[in-house]
Amino acid sequence: MTMRLRPTALLASLALFAVTALSPPLAAAELSIPSIQYHQRTLPNGLQVLSVENHDSPTVSVQMWYHVGSKDDPQGRSGFAHLFEHLMFKSTKHMHAEQFDRLTEDVGGSNNASTGDDVTNYFEIVPSNYLQTLLWAEAERLSNLNVDEKNFKSERAVVEEEYRQSVLANPYGKLFNAIDPHSYTVHPYQRPTIGSIEDLEAASLQNVIDFHNTFYRPDNATLIVSGDFDPKQLDAWVDQYFGWIPKPATAVPQVAAQEPVRKRDMRYTVTSETAPLPAVAITWLIPPAADSADSIPLQVAAALLSQGDSSRLYQSLVYRHQVAQQVGADADGRVGPGLFIAYAILASGHAPAAAEKLLHEEIIWLATQPIPATELDKVKTQLLTSELKQRQTAQGIAFALGQASLIDGNPEHVNTDLAALQNVSENDVHRVLQKYVIGAHSVTIDYLPQAATSASAAGKGAAK
Amino acid sequence: MSRHVKVIRLAVFMAMLMTAVGASTAMASAADFPATPPAPGPAPKLSVPTPSTQTLANGLQVISVRRAGLPLVTAQLVLHGGGEMDPPQLAGLADLTANLLSKGAAGKTAPQIAAAVEALGGSLSAAAGWDQSAVGVTVTTPKLPQALGLLAEVARQPDFSAAELKRAQAQAIDDLRLSLSRPTALASLAVGRSVFGDGAYGHSRSGTPASIARIRRNDVQHLHDALYRPDNAILILTGDVTPEQAQQLAQNSFGDWRKPAAPLPPRPVGMAASHVPAILLIDQHGAGQAGVVVAHAAPPRNDADYYVGIVANAVLGGSYSARLNEEIRIKRGLSYGASSRLQALGDAGMWLAAAQTKNPSAPQVVELVLGEFKQLGSARVSADELAARKATLIGSYGNSLETTAGLAEQVGELAIHGVKLEQIGKYIEQVQAVTPKQIEKYAAKHLDADGSKVVVVGDAAQFGAAIHQAHPHAVLLESSALDLDSTSLQPAAAASKIIAR
Repeated sequence: MTMRLRPTALLASLALFAVTALSPPLAAAELSIPSIQYHQRTLPNGLQVLSVENHDSPTVSVQMWYHVGSKDDPQGRSGFAHLFEHLMFKSTKHMHAEQFDRLTEDVGGSNNASTGDDVTNYFEIVPSNYLQTLLWAEAERLSNLNVDEKNFKSERAVVEEEYRQSVLANPYGKLFNAIDPHSYTVHPYQRPTIGSIEDLEAASLQNVIDFHNTFYRPDNATLIVSGDFDPKQLDAWVDQYFGWIPKPATAVPQVAAQEPVRKRDMRYTVTSETAPLPAVAITWLIPPAADSADSIPLQVAAALLSQGDSSRLYQSLVYRHQVAQQVGADADGRVGPGLFIAYAILASGHAPAAAEKLLHEEIIWLATQPIPATELDKVKTQLLTSELKQRQTAQGIAFALGQASLIDGNPEHVNTDLAALQNVSENDVHRVLQKYVIGAHSVTIDYLPQAATSASAAGKGAAK
Repeated sequence: MSRHVKVIRLAVFMAMLMTAVGASTAMASAADFPATPPAPGPAPKLSVPTPSTQTLANGLQVISVRRAGLPLVTAQLVLHGGGEMDPPQLAGLADLTANLLSKGAAGKTAPQIAAAVEALGGSLSAAAGWDQSAVGVTVTTPKLPQALGLLAEVARQPDFSAAELKRAQAQAIDDLRLSLSRPTALASLAVGRSVFGDGAYGHSRSGTPASIARIRRNDVQHLHDALYRPDNAILILTGDVTPEQAQQLAQNSFGDWRKPAAPLPPRPVGMAASHVPAILLIDQHGAGQAGVVVAHAAPPRNDADYYVGIVANAVLGGSYSARLNEEIRIKRGLSYGASSRLQALGDAGMWLAAAQTKNPSAPQVVELVLGEFKQLGSARVSADELAARKATLIGSYGNSLETTAGLAEQVGELAIHGVKLEQIGKYIEQVQAVTPKQIEKYAAKHLDADGSKVVVVGDAAQFGAAIHQAHPHAVLLESSALDLDSTSLQPAAAASKIIAR
């Protein structure tokens, strides 16, 4: 949860107060948030292309989103989709290893990539005179990947260090990494995206070739271009560099597993040698993100619970009762079944049970009692403001489009969710929490510090 | 999972037209796919908005930078003086004071303030840096007057009630326990003491469990009285706001803030003698990785060679493709990321390089980092490498200016160090002017091997002996024996716990 690509904030075109900044009190009026005017087309080989023109800055964001994530890891190869993502920066037929950095960082741009449960995305921002270069390079690694054994092994070692850094050396890494394995019984979401050292060690170069052939194909990808470009020129370059790439005759494998409804509450314990304070996390299954009639009210519920110091969980657990050091709630919407997650890291001197009780109390209260209109307005304004912040950059707009298209199921969500958010009512919040949370079964994970050796934590011996 | 440690935001460049090439037709087959990347068109130039400055009658400096487009504004109130002002036994006082501002003020309780600012769509963030304290908020333009009203209340009339102080202390101590359990965070803290010694930048800016517990209400009030005054403050407004609006908004919320008669407090000396071993190993038993940190003293922000230092750091470890990451991650797979930064403060500075690696690799990573510091002063950077790293630096500088919050931060950095604000538009030419010879000279002067400070935190059973063999002066300390309140990091009474091997 901590490192995974997170859903972008919901969009909102809320009625705000007018921009007459110097004459308070302000007159009420509409502050309209312009919709994202994107252009969509699909090449004959199935490549989806989304573009948003904006000439405010002569930079351009180029992103490739693939419908493949850790849910598609091969059997016995947890973490493979993510390892593969790293290898896409190694050699291709016409590029040497790290040439992507030469074409981005070295000319004043940047690049990165991330892997989630459902998608893998590769993103660059470059001065706009490098658009053609980057389109060529993305087409090249889609069609001509050519990793050698030496680079494979060295990059696998990097990913193993990433595992150690995010899971082992992060005091709460083991907790967040345990959420998916304990929350799903059948669905491959139960595999952590980062995988395990053993499975990473078992991966081979042949796995890389097979994975590329299976999932890296034009009909399984979306190209997103945002920023300073000429639309006709973009279309011509996209046709030139991507149009020839053949669409394989075979179908893209799809996850068929159906996560069953939970029949009872479950509880697990995870221990940590380095965490200074205990923690507790509770999860419930929620419908796919594309089910926006339910997923948007769930986002609002999570924001009511945990966004900011005035949120319900912070006020109860951290401020009034002072049993928690940190609290959070998240509606983690996915292509398949997602999770509603509530968690707390305990304050010194408190046990997980104290926080767990209060988490449940606050959620039940929210699900059953009246919600003040001012509080509902508050979270809508918070979500709108964070969306506006994201839209300050071409890259932020491209991310919003990718999320809408690949996770929420349609790029149009980037605009329609605005209205949907504005219309979320108290009844909607009650309905979804009653259906998916308080009326359903939970998985609870207690996270307990445990000294590394038989010596007590306070009195470790100096010599070893 | 990100491939790189950071996602970087995009750059602001002056608009230019695309040079359209002749329309191409789609290729028929792989054989037609070009074997080399298409060449770029002409390079665009960076354009940076110009800050406007005004000063109110009470001495408050008001800086605004206009960027219309989206209806967003960031407001930051910045005060000269931060962690450097912490009294010797009260590490963390400035940070705790900033944190307490919004926990009750002007007749509103902490929950009421949080509810009020969050109803505007923002959240108040307050913290102390070394040279400054700051409280700020980002909101949509129509909410700005109300947000500034709240900002003024918390900065000018905080309660510092006993109950909130107690709550904040308990939270700060738990925060510290969390951050000190991360190997690189602990190593960075220790190396600060190693570089700055008894100076004002040497202690833990967020305090220690013991120092936080010692803080009394009077200490907080006294620091607030000393720093939070209009003639010591800068109000920065960036985004959808004109200079005229900024002036009037500042006047409305801060115009009647009275300047006290007392003189401003003197600034302390940042760096002094160090009592920390040059190579310190801290055993954090069971740690999943080792945090390796290597630091050097650096010149202050206003040093004439500041930009040489910035470019030198870009070569050493400022980005993914810089030398440290190239050697440690890309070539050897020893870490998820290795990087360095140059922290140039008001009265002194520090170079800090860091990487996390599996415990048994720590000795190798220490040598690689030391080797790269040395290399910078012993061999001239090639023209190609320098051009690439300058481009990265300039690109990410542009990125940092693209959001209202990033713009406010950059302007604040200049203002707090008394740098002319027009420098915000001269960054590129200053960076471009740096030569390989200057870098070599700078490194020879500031980064000699004798000045290296090394701290490694991790499961020392897996690296202690090897590092000690290469560096016989290395000192090993149990994390339970580490005394963050002591300028030597070692309690005098517990010297017997120190084991060199």
